[in-house]
Amino acid sequence: MKLFSPFPRRYLFELGAAMLVYALVLCSSIFLLKTGYFEGASATLVALLPTLPCIGACWAILRQFRRLDELQLRVQLEALGFAFAGTALLTFSYGFLEGVGWRPLSMFVVWPVMATLWLVGLAVAARRYR
Amino acid sequence: MKNHLKALRAERGWSQNDLAERLGVSRQTVNAIENERYDPSLPLAFQISRLFGLPLEAIFDASSLV
Repeated sequence: MKLFSPFPRRYLFELGAAMLVYALVLCSSIFLLKTGYFEGASATLVALLPTLPCIGACWAILRQFRRLDELQLRVQLEALGFAFAGTALLTFSYGFLEGVGWRPLSMFVVWPVMATLWLVGLAVAARRYR
Repeated sequence: MKNHLKALRAERGWSQNDLAERLGVSRQTVNAIENERYDPSLPLAFQISRLFGLPLEAIFDASSLV
């Protein structure tokens, strides 16, 4: 029995299901908004619909965290700490640059930056305990 | 912290995976403890002690601590 494979089947199923529903709701949301039927508050609600399945993804990720052992939790903490601080540094720096005329970036950029830093932090932290 | 986990595991003919399953942790955690890259928590140390039927001092060398 593999208790701690890097991607347990249950986690992959839960996260995969949440992401599948997310993709379906996202497509539906875009389709509904393009019809032009929704305006104002209703358009806001339709635009936010894809965040609902994201709550499911958050739940799957938190469940996976609770399955980790003490060393894996430490590695994740170090990686997330690095990503948290690094994202703050980069986003604040770019925010200041926007103040002097740099092109404003979408909020969608923030999470990929954090995810990239998390992966880098994960590789560094995992290597430390190898 | 220095420890004799690798030798004790070898005496019983267990792989790192075998030991990890018995302790309910990942193989990476067993590997990190054996290579003295990571010191286990007190509950895990006691679990290891109980599994091998030895006192903590017989597995972990506390003299290496400051």
